[in-house]
Amino acid sequence: MTTFVQLLFNGAALGCVYALIALGFTAIHRASNVINFAQGAFLLLGAYLVSTAAVDRNLPFLVAAVFGVAAMVVIGIVFQMLVLRRVQGQAVFTVVMITIGLNIIIVALVSAIFGSNERTNGVGDPWGTSSLQAGGVVFLWVKIWAVIVTAAVLVGFFLFDRYSRYGLATRATAIDEEAAMAAGIPVRRVNAIAWGLAGGLATIAGIFLSGAPSLLDLGISNIALIAFPAIIIGGLNSPIGAVVGGLVIGLVYEFFDGYSSNLPWLGHNFYAVAPYVVMILVLLIKPYGLFGQRPVERV
Amino acid sequence: MIAQAARPTQGRLADRRFWLRGALVIVVLVVGLGLPFFLGAFWLSTTDFILIAAIGALGLNVLTGYTGQVSLGHAFFLGVGAYTAAFLGDHNVNAAIWIPAAGVVAGLVGLLVGPTALRLRGLYLAIVTIGLVFLGTHLFVNLPAITGGPAGRAIAQPQWGPADFGGTGVTVLGISIDRNGLYYYLALLLLALSMWFVHNLMRTRAGRAMQAVRDREVAAALVGVNLARTKLAAFVVSSFLAGICGAVYGAFLFHVEPGTWNLLLSIQFVAIIIVGGIGTVWGALLGSVFISGLPAILNNYSDSIPFLQHSAGGGGLDVGDATDLVYGILIVLFLVAEPRGLIGLVARIARSIPQRRRIATASIAVSPVAEE
Amino acid sequence: MTSQPILETTDLKLCFGAVTAFEGITLRVDEGELLAVIGPNGAGKTSLFNVLSCIYRPTSGRVSLRGRDLTTMHVDDLAGAGVARTLQNLGLFRNLSVLNNVMLGRHHLLRSGALRGGLWYGFARGEERRHRAAAMEALGFCGIERYAGAYVATLPYGIQKRVELARALAMEPTLLLLDEPVAGMSTAERDEITALVRRLHRERGLSVVLVEHDMGMVMQVAQRVVVLDFGKLIADGTPAAVQRDERVIRAYLGEPLEATA
Repeated sequence: MTTFVQLLFNGAALGCVYALIALGFTAIHRASNVINFAQGAFLLLGAYLVSTAAVDRNLPFLVAAVFGVAAMVVIGIVFQMLVLRRVQGQAVFTVVMITIGLNIIIVALVSAIFGSNERTNGVGDPWGTSSLQAGGVVFLWVKIWAVIVTAAVLVGFFLFDRYSRYGLATRATAIDEEAAMAAGIPVRRVNAIAWGLAGGLATIAGIFLSGAPSLLDLGISNIALIAFPAIIIGGLNSPIGAVVGGLVIGLVYEFFDGYSSNLPWLGHNFYAVAPYVVMILVLLIKPYGLFGQRPVERV
Repeated sequence: MIAQAARPTQGRLADRRFWLRGALVIVVLVVGLGLPFFLGAFWLSTTDFILIAAIGALGLNVLTGYTGQVSLGHAFFLGVGAYTAAFLGDHNVNAAIWIPAAGVVAGLVGLLVGPTALRLRGLYLAIVTIGLVFLGTHLFVNLPAITGGPAGRAIAQPQWGPADFGGTGVTVLGISIDRNGLYYYLALLLLALSMWFVHNLMRTRAGRAMQAVRDREVAAALVGVNLARTKLAAFVVSSFLAGICGAVYGAFLFHVEPGTWNLLLSIQFVAIIIVGGIGTVWGALLGSVFISGLPAILNNYSDSIPFLQHSAGGGGLDVGDATDLVYGILIVLFLVAEPRGLIGLVARIARSIPQRRRIATASIAVSPVAEE
Repeated sequence: MTSQPILETTDLKLCFGAVTAFEGITLRVDEGELLAVIGPNGAGKTSLFNVLSCIYRPTSGRVSLRGRDLTTMHVDDLAGAGVARTLQNLGLFRNLSVLNNVMLGRHHLLRSGALRGGLWYGFARGEERRHRAAAMEALGFCGIERYAGAYVATLPYGIQKRVELARALAMEPTLLLLDEPVAGMSTAERDEITALVRRLHRERGLSVVLVEHDMGMVMQVAQRVVVLDFGKLIADGTPAAVQRDERVIRAYLGEPLEATA
């Protein structure tokens, strides 16, 4: 029983991280109909920026975190303005490949600038391996904070989406970009904001991802790849779907890892591919995800 | 009244263009067949990589470039081909059989995987193909009997008569051809056959249907194209070529492991067709020259290129990072500036060259059976 | 007149959730007839066409093509059944040449698969030549054979429309479904297309159903006219009769239908 609760908690915490990444994907896809393959790179760069600020420059953690998030928001916006605007209106495949190219560039730059060695102090977070223990279950503080911060971010996001002008503008752009432009909505600004948001969300996710164990290396950019199933399961345009998808994936990951000894026939490290298997199974039944909708094509 | 053609009909032999074209073909043949003797070991092995990769890229172009099915799963099919070759090689099957067999098995796997992808569009399809690569790696790691597990395995080398691909090569009529040279001719032959096949495919019924599916599915269905069957055919052709590429690639490398067939490899193939030209036959080769040749060039000339690290721990960019950086920049650059790749670039340059002859012939009605 | 109509609908109804696109549509098209479907915007004409071309399944009612139930057919069965449909916003294949677009009209008449095509031996090569001639003939009928090698994306709209018609003709259909063939055209272009449609109908003996807004064109080519308004059929008769029908006049906001030269 304790194992189950432990896995449940760990899965939820991991799921929160994935939910943040997935939300970033969804934010961009709603605004520009593109999946940002560079999300992992954003995560990586953001985490490294926070790490440099907190560990190398000895800034207080909160300051470093805010700095990292703010920097990535700006970078997200800059990227949209510099590159994405030029290819507005081109085939989706083209734009997606550009984000793949961007991912490669950013990871290479991070490796070049910060070196490829792992950073043993992680992002310099104050939690380390401290934890709360209850009934045999270990609640790592970093994971508790992951859940709390994610909840706060989600509430903020949904309030923004529902009640602010830009939230409304984003939803309009998601439904029909041309109509939104015709209605006077600053579509380019909406896009820029979406990319900035994605950058910020990725950084927050990166902080909690490198939090425990306190290690940070280039490999964490690959975490975003595991977040793909999250957005697919949730449907590309649905923020709620992103959160649900993220939680599902986090739970799947931890449970398959935790119970892997009970299921040896699945092979070594099945938990790493489990999210993709779940995704494929979902898609077999609902080709546009649980919350997704078939795009309408006017004949 | 139809105006008379400007040139009297004297048959092809009198046509200057025919002789020019003939001369060009001969030059290409001489260079192509003689290349191994002009190149040093390093450049020859680089060329081998370029040619082998082009085979796989051609397959990807059929699926993604011509049929519009975005796939990041190409590496998986290469792996299937390589392990088929390895398996058959273990059982002493001749390379003349395991090379096509690798293609056939990979093609069959493509046929199995294809139907899952049929209902998926665009980005959903792309992400599922990523899943395919991960599942593939997982599978390969967990089947050590065939794949050698995480440590990998060697692949049997082709051996035809005195030609030993694994060792010293062969001596023909006093001329010695080493391993790199043997692989060069093998890859060249396979690439030429593949290009000829795809070229023909695209100018006949099935290939046209694929392009129609890419351009407008509804309209394709309205003219009677069976969407599912067309997409599956594209999958099979694509995986077949990937399988052959994987088999030869694996043999050339001597040793492969499950980690070889990773997402980065898939992305490399996509980069090749983007840079070379999506939906073209020559694009695979042109793109491969850049993308496959790049790491080798950077590695070899790192000393003379500024900003690059000249020794471990020295200042400047690590060669691996530099390679990645250039990949990424090339991809972004081509997509922003010239989405039709190098072929598009060449076409653009060709169009901008003033041609008097073109203006003259434009006014004459085109013959009904004009060649494509 | 012929006994069995080539196309017949019985009490056809289509709903999208709570919205009814059309209902109670009962009409017939006889062999060799040219029927026009007209009506104000949003009347349900294109939705009707989409049902007739198997893109939508009707909520209720029957459609039969020479007695065969159309509602159980798939879109890709239409070509083989002799039905060719053009699309309102041009269903051309942008990255292909004009000739290749029309050759796709021959798709259901060609036999080579991927293997035979790729190997390019006798059979595939032979049928390519034969069908290319047929495709050129279709282009010739539409007066655009000199554009055969051009890429469709580079051509003016009027020529593109003709390419789509040529492709439809190349399919060797018995029934043509034309969705707004003269939409967005200048007067000269419109006259050319109208003449082309009339020739297709008369010289090739095709049955034609066309959806159109342009009254002048309709009056010139249609033998019978069917009027849709808010998803209901409000008139069915000869062009002259429909022109005088009060309900039709009212549907078009009281303006009399003009028969322009």
